[in-house]
Amino acid sequence: MTNTSRDSDVPPEPVVEVRHLTHRYPVGNETVGALTGVDLTVNDGEFVAVIGPSGCGKTTLLSIIAGLLSPTGGQVSVFGSDTRAARRSQALGLVTQDPGLLPWLDVASNVLLTLDITGPHDGADEYVTELLERVGISRFARYYPGQLSGGMRQRVALARALVHHPRLLLMDEPFGALDEISREEMRFELLKVWEQEQMSVVFVTHSIREAVLLADRVVVLTGQPGRVKDVIEIDLDRPRTASLEDDPRYQSLLADVRGLLVSETDRSDLVHAIPGTRR
Amino acid sequence: MKRKFQRNALILLTPVLVSTLLLAAWETWVRVRDVKEYLLPAPSAILAALLDDPGRFAEGARLSLQAAIGGLLLASLGAFILAVAMAHSRALERALYPPALALKVTPIVAVAPLFTIWFGFGLAPKVLIAAMITFFPMLVNSVVGLRSVDPRAHDFLRTINASTWQIFWRLRVPSSLPFVFAGLRISVPLSLIGAVVAEFLSGSEGIGQLILIANGDFDTPVLFGAIFVLAAMGILLTASVALVERKVLFWYQSAVSL
Repeated sequence: MTNTSRDSDVPPEPVVEVRHLTHRYPVGNETVGALTGVDLTVNDGEFVAVIGPSGCGKTTLLSIIAGLLSPTGGQVSVFGSDTRAARRSQALGLVTQDPGLLPWLDVASNVLLTLDITGPHDGADEYVTELLERVGISRFARYYPGQLSGGMRQRVALARALVHHPRLLLMDEPFGALDEISREEMRFELLKVWEQEQMSVVFVTHSIREAVLLADRVVVLTGQPGRVKDVIEIDLDRPRTASLEDDPRYQSLLADVRGLLVSETDRSDLVHAIPGTRR
Repeated sequence: MKRKFQRNALILLTPVLVSTLLLAAWETWVRVRDVKEYLLPAPSAILAALLDDPGRFAEGARLSLQAAIGGLLLASLGAFILAVAMAHSRALERALYPPALALKVTPIVAVAPLFTIWFGFGLAPKVLIAAMITFFPMLVNSVVGLRSVDPRAHDFLRTINASTWQIFWRLRVPSSLPFVFAGLRISVPLSLIGAVVAEFLSGSEGIGQLILIANGDFDTPVLFGAIFVLAAMGILLTASVALVERKVLFWYQSAVSL
């Protein structure tokens, strides 16, 4: 236990480590539980999807990891330090369902804004050009967000969240508001970027298909307040392509996750159905 | 292309036509019924009064506009600075709101003579009265505007550790502009009222004084001339604000024309 050098057989420190996380929101004079006893580990370069019914605290979990919200209980460490220090390292990226681009800045300026705040890195200019190209919006660099479709805006949000080379990308239902075709495109583009950037991703989603398609591991949360029901390893080959649809292993993983979620829904329906039952 | 031109011509033509018809009806009414000039002068008589000494009206308009614009700028700036403090802290907002409200509900005509005692008959009291009357709408709109930040954009900036200062300049100030311009649209006519009321009460030069003198002389054509000049000033100011608004708020959905 006293090895001083970092040998290759010593597992690297996880990027995110969540232990016994509990969060309660004040509602009037009372509090409502959003998360209870959640454990979660995200290793370096890992893609972790978090899935669960509405109101299971997925977004709360993400806000806590981002250091935007202080949990009411439990420990969270990001990059080996507390979340505030992690935020200060400017190595986080955030993409939300409604991306919150600045409508008075054009696409290029929205992306450059990140660098204005984090400070430019070597080759930043070329990287912005390359990044806009890579997410397919270079033709729209001088457009304003109001002139773009939802899918295009989400690409801008992705570029804006990646331009400073974050080590951890946090995504909150980023493709939830998109049409099916854009969603499909964005999923594979995200995978490409992730494979090139070697960063870790925490990806909150409602979609079972999306979770299994993208992630190394799928964390299934139970409903209100959120707890980790199970973690499913997705040992499908990478790079993943649309041909996965025909892969029986993919289908059986989908069924596994769906099974966990359905039994969860049944249980909560049951609780609601029996008068006098309290959770 | 041609159709578009025709539509634009039509948009311009109808209001001109309606105004002309109204003036024509007014002129006819006065002539046919032989209405006394001191009661209601015909548009032609008003035009004659305006052309008789255009320099007088122009000078009056210049002085009143100066006071109105000066007051509006002073109030906007002061209100915005105070709004920053109020938007920053609820406690400050609670503390500052009552005096701001007191300022708003106090009838301006009651305070104006005091300003003359303090600041004399020059530009200063006029600017201050115009500022006082426009201060509250500017304050309320600025506070609401500074608070109207998109929470998603705010979260994103915080995630990359933007400082409060960066968030203020990059997000809060631009987000507030639609509300600030809404406040300006409300305040433009108020600022003119402020300037004219100040001139009424202190008798210092401007359109207000012109009205006061014409009223004393029963010179109704000049009185009407002054009213028309005031209306034109109001339109000019409103149109200027709308023009700037359209340039600045090109990104905002409901940036309207007038």
